[in-house]
Amino acid sequence: MAKIKRKGESGAAKNYVTRNQALKKLQISLSDFRRLCILKGIYPREPLNKKRANKGSSAPATFYYHKDIQYLLHEPLLVKFREHKSFAKKLARALGRGEWALAKNLEDAKPVARLDHLVKERYPTFTLALQDLQDPLNLVHLFSTLPTNPIPGKTLVPSSVIAECSRLISEWKVWAIRTNSLRKIFLGVKGIYYECEVPGQGGELVKVRWLEGYEFQQHVPTDVDFRILLTFLDLYRTLISFTLFKLYTEENLVYPPPLDVELDERGESVGAFRLVEKKDNLGVESSKVSKKAVRKAIRGIKASTGDVDADVEMDEDEQDGNEEDDEEFVERPTKSGEEVEDVATAPLTTYNSLLATSSNAASTSKQNLLFSPYTFYLSRETSSRTWEFVIRAMGGKIITSLNSPTPSDDSITHVIIDRPITVERMREMENGRKWTWIQPQWVADCVNRQKIISSEGYHPGQLLPPHLSPWDGEGELARPWLEDQQNAAITAAQEEADQEEDAIERDAPEEEDVSEDEDVEDEEETAGSKYPPALLASSLDPENVSLLHAAELEAEQNGVSHSAFRNQLKEAIKANAKDASPKSQVGKKGGEEDLRKIMMSNKKAKLYEKMQYSNREKAAEKENLERKRLAIEKRKRKEARV
Amino acid sequence: MAPRNATASSSRAASSSISRPVKSNGIAGPSTIRNKKRAVQEVSEDEDDEEFGAAGSGIDMSDDEDAEEEDEEVDEEAFPEFDSEIEDDNEQDGDDETQEEEEELDDEESGSESGYNSSDIEAMYGEADEDDDQEDYSPITSPSSSHKELSTDEKLSKMIAKNSIKPDDSLGTDAKISRAKEGVGRLVPSKLVEGGYKREYDDYEAGYGSESSTEDNPNTVGNIPMEWYDDLPHIGYDVNGRKIFRPAQGDELDKFLSNTEDPAAWTSAEDKLLQQSVQLTDKELDIIRRLERAENPDADYDPYQPTIEWFTGEGNERVMPLSAAPEPKRRFVPSKWEHKKIMKIVKAIREGRIIPNKPSAAKPTVYAIWSESDQSNLQHAMYMPAPQLPPPKTIESYNPPEEYLLTEEEKKEWEETDKEDRKIDFLPAKYDSLRLVPGYKNLVQERFERCLDLYLAPRTRKVKLNIDPESLIPKLPAPKELKPFPISTSVVYRHPESSRVRSVSTSPDGLWVATGSEDGIVRVWDLGNGREVWKWNLKSGAIQHLSFSPYKDECLLIALVSGKIAVLSPLALVSPSVAANTLTHANTAFASSAATTKIGAGKDIKGVESIKWVRPNESERERGVLVYVEVPGTPKQVSWHRKGDYFATVASDASNKSVLIHQLSKHSTQSPFKKLPGQVQKVIFHPSKPHFFVATQRYIRQYDLSSQTLVRTLQSGVKWISSLDLHPRGDNLIIGSYDKKLAWFDLDLSNKPYKTLRYHTKALRSVVYHPTLPLFASASDDGTIHIFHCTIYQDLMQNPLIVPLKILRGHKITDGIGVLDLSWVSGKPWLVSSGADGEVRLWCS
Repeated sequence: MAKIKRKGESGAAKNYVTRNQALKKLQISLSDFRRLCILKGIYPREPLNKKRANKGSSAPATFYYHKDIQYLLHEPLLVKFREHKSFAKKLARALGRGEWALAKNLEDAKPVARLDHLVKERYPTFTLALQDLQDPLNLVHLFSTLPTNPIPGKTLVPSSVIAECSRLISEWKVWAIRTNSLRKIFLGVKGIYYECEVPGQGGELVKVRWLEGYEFQQHVPTDVDFRILLTFLDLYRTLISFTLFKLYTEENLVYPPPLDVELDERGESVGAFRLVEKKDNLGVESSKVSKKAVRKAIRGIKASTGDVDADVEMDEDEQDGNEEDDEEFVERPTKSGEEVEDVATAPLTTYNSLLATSSNAASTSKQNLLFSPYTFYLSRETSSRTWEFVIRAMGGKIITSLNSPTPSDDSITHVIIDRPITVERMREMENGRKWTWIQPQWVADCVNRQKIISSEGYHPGQLLPPHLSPWDGEGELARPWLEDQQNAAITAAQEEADQEEDAIERDAPEEEDVSEDEDVEDEEETAGSKYPPALLASSLDPENVSLLHAAELEAEQNGVSHSAFRNQLKEAIKANAKDASPKSQVGKKGGEEDLRKIMMSNKKAKLYEKMQYSNREKAAEKENLERKRLAIEKRKRKEARV
Repeated sequence: MAPRNATASSSRAASSSISRPVKSNGIAGPSTIRNKKRAVQEVSEDEDDEEFGAAGSGIDMSDDEDAEEEDEEVDEEAFPEFDSEIEDDNEQDGDDETQEEEEELDDEESGSESGYNSSDIEAMYGEADEDDDQEDYSPITSPSSSHKELSTDEKLSKMIAKNSIKPDDSLGTDAKISRAKEGVGRLVPSKLVEGGYKREYDDYEAGYGSESSTEDNPNTVGNIPMEWYDDLPHIGYDVNGRKIFRPAQGDELDKFLSNTEDPAAWTSAEDKLLQQSVQLTDKELDIIRRLERAENPDADYDPYQPTIEWFTGEGNERVMPLSAAPEPKRRFVPSKWEHKKIMKIVKAIREGRIIPNKPSAAKPTVYAIWSESDQSNLQHAMYMPAPQLPPPKTIESYNPPEEYLLTEEEKKEWEETDKEDRKIDFLPAKYDSLRLVPGYKNLVQERFERCLDLYLAPRTRKVKLNIDPESLIPKLPAPKELKPFPISTSVVYRHPESSRVRSVSTSPDGLWVATGSEDGIVRVWDLGNGREVWKWNLKSGAIQHLSFSPYKDECLLIALVSGKIAVLSPLALVSPSVAANTLTHANTAFASSAATTKIGAGKDIKGVESIKWVRPNESERERGVLVYVEVPGTPKQVSWHRKGDYFATVASDASNKSVLIHQLSKHSTQSPFKKLPGQVQKVIFHPSKPHFFVATQRYIRQYDLSSQTLVRTLQSGVKWISSLDLHPRGDNLIIGSYDKKLAWFDLDLSNKPYKTLRYHTKALRSVVYHPTLPLFASASDDGTIHIFHCTIYQDLMQNPLIVPLKILRGHKITDGIGVLDLSWVSGKPWLVSSGADGEVRLWCS
């Protein structure tokens, strides 16, 4: 005989525990439990049968997986929590008694919980860590812009934490710049989305997307619990720092990269870091290195004696790459004073690094170095945090100040400007040089399309073309008209890139198209009224002789010649066939489907209905969009006519 | 205690004072420097203790004698060798200083070996200081530590005092040492130090209370049984080892005499050790006396001395009831065992086994945590990673195409819906340039909610079906492969005044259509052209149902009206032979009985009496009305047997006579059921077996008429059966129900439906199998007729194939009733349907 199954000994009743049960089992406070859950990534479950999981009670409860809680019992973090609890007690007692020395001793031996093991445990492989990097990056970006007291009178965010967050994102960006791994950028309402391709375990590329809010004071609602956010941040900081360590190490760089204090104080975010190669395998190359270094140093001294622009600074890697391409003893075009000092004092780049960068440059495809031939000047209202990162990650050079006339000004090819400016002023600033004036969206669109698009339509003060999400294919409605428009625009723009009247010319064909479209529509609309009734009837049923006869009579009455009548009839029949055939086919098909659906089982029928529901929703959404588009176009045409 | 050799002790004190470096601020204390290690230790202490040297020196420099005295005493207490304390008061003062110094020295010497040394403790504390040198040493650390520190300060001052005061001065200053000054001792030239003097004292006269006075016993044998010496001439040895001879003892007589003679004899006791009687002193006698009286042996003890009022009485009132009793010693004397433990630790620290406050080998903050050989864990069924945030869509752009912006109504709707129900969590907006984009207000809130979702939202695994919805639709042959079947209306038979046509039937030869409408007229129509060719007005209300006999050689039509069954035949329309056959069949019984009315048809079943077979009058007979059968209730349905002789009628309001089986040839009627299982809806004969199906509201019962038994009960699973038909082969059955369902029974398979289909939107009125072709049709109140193909395979293992073929629409719905009856045209894929709109339609392929 089979073993008698008793209630509550297997299945859902055994698999799930409520939160209170878990607390009792672990013997910790609720806040500690929450912290543990956040750090360990333990989440409540939704049992299939709540009543069974709750042992017959239908009271609302949060359920956790029994084994999750069981594993928590052996968690080293739990031990640390307990240690900390007793430490806090001791400290409070010492302070209460005024035993300062004892308190100091205790404070020195304060138990510190480390989260490394959690990182490894939650993300056993590097790829998994990268796949889950979106939330950490988002939160770290957010915290880097928060004040120390986001909600006055409530939990404080230590300034060290904020500093660490901004350091981490800078390091992340520095890495992205060095490896040119930025792929997409999207200027949204909420902020700017970026996407990088990061090599995971075994070189498998993982897409990492993050959101960086605009540079404004963040509005913090009072019901946000910062203790929770800080706990998350603890884990995320650890995760990101380990990830960065791995990424830097794979690039053969020292992590953490040394921070140039001087630059940092001047407000440089990304540029304040020096990337230092690891000196693990110097060996034979050392002699070459030293030569190079010496040359560098000499050049540095020369340059520093000359007049240099303090504000101009460039990516070192970029220069390294350039240098590799350059002939020996060719003066570099730009050289800033502080960088020279850095080169002289900071650890020298080794041959390996140069090799690495050069090979890197060679390996990266053309699109990575989209902007490598260009130098951008950032107007002061544009966000240098964003555009410096994007342009440098795409291989471009950045100049942020035009104050002192240096040779570097000549290299400027593009000016990113985000305010209306008069042509006279532009010419004045250009001072005879040929600059391309663009709005920031141009850069984003270039990155997303992975090619340099025409700057037409992006000039300062112009109404910009719509900015589309580069992740359009994923979960978005198909909008063929949009692509058509874009393609048309692109081709038109490319064809007539240099011509002045480009825009006008491009507008004209569009208008023509539009009017044609309209005509067709009108035709369709008036199809009914176009033909006399009898002819129409005849065309609808061409085989009916009596109808044909009636139509002939009508034509005679109207004074239409027989041949003309024949032609008309043919046209009408054709038009009707066009009209009718899809409809009738659809109808027939629909009818057929309906019939076959009769034979579906109840279960399948329901499932089918569900699927059809979502499809219908999508279709309705699409229709709505299309309708709106048509209405807008119509309105625009009208406005244009007026 | 033996008198000490003062000379030796003083010289040693001098030597130690020479070797000791004079410090103003050190707390090295009295530790003698014997080895390099210690020296090093002290040097380090020197450096460290400079911080608080000033405080110590403040005390040192005071020349107060009492302070020094106290210091010494405290020192004694801190390092307890307690024996001297008891003597303090009784001893002669002159000895005090040297004695103490000596003891101190002894301590020091022994300390280096046993580890019980003040310097050790100091060394330890010094080391402790060394390690946390950033820390400012606060004196409040603990009571014990403050005490220690005090003692070190005192020691320090004592040291300084000892080393800074010359011997002569000290004689002058010290009150207790001043006995030497009094000249009790005498100065003699020292033998050890050239030109030095030493002071010699007289021997002590040990009095009572002195240890030696009670021990004044010449016999040194100790506490042994004296009988061991019984056989020897002596009784022990004196201090010098000489034998003490047994004193001469008289015999018993002498003893007796001396006892009687000597008056003091009774106050003497025998000293066993000396084997002689000793005279007890008065004091001793007094003690004995007191003991006898159970009194305190001490004569000075006063049991009634006045109480000393510590806490009560005038001037002794206390606010707090605290004890003024002196502090017990253990409160301020450090524990020896703790000290030993500490010394162990100190030793370990000295030897380097323990490095205090050693910074633990900290892991680096970041290191290579992942390697190429990492394996991801096998994903457990209960592992549910959090869903990633979806990528932003174009609608989120700062500059989206214009159609993405919300219209006024949409905006209003968005604002009115709850936060949780909104499809998008932001209002799309279009900005002309990037600099105009404001900060997003909900960024923090969104991040926070995401965090909450990550750890608070219950997760469950939802299987997303990634299947093509088309695959759910069963694969069936296309209807066009299953032609012919009725597709469209070809003939419409219109009834005057649009009276409802309740029933329709086609003749077995496929030429005529009979319809029964609610105006009480049975009409016969030409099937092909829709011309009305014959009609009977039965004048007794609506025609409930009518049916042609399936027997081809006859043309018999049975129509049901209230209380009456009419057997009709359009005799003029049919061939003469058929007409003749028909007439003979219907009238034979009349001929045999020669009566116009026949009751009960010769059966003597109870209750059948009311059923009369009536011959219509002449004129009616000429019109083709052959027989009337008067039955109780209103018969609603007639069902022919295949052979065309028997027919069954159902009149649901006729209680137990609702089901009747009539035999036309004999004009007889039977009521097969004495008691009915429920309200009978429909009945039908089995085409080949003598079986009979009765459908009640929910069940269908199959009876064997020959053996009069119930064969099986079919459970329909519908609420109210409306119609019933049996496949011509007799092994499949369909029913239609008022609750919009059609159920197909495979009689060989189960008592439950093989398939229940629900496709009509309203109640089914009629379901009919085609008599020869694999078709069936259903009619419903929704005004549609569904045509199905049904192939029934010979192979019993194969399920019947049912294919929906066509929906016939054309009948109008009047008063919520659509199509009422259906009838297939035999031999052709044609269908005749009658509707509530007064039309009968012929549907052709």
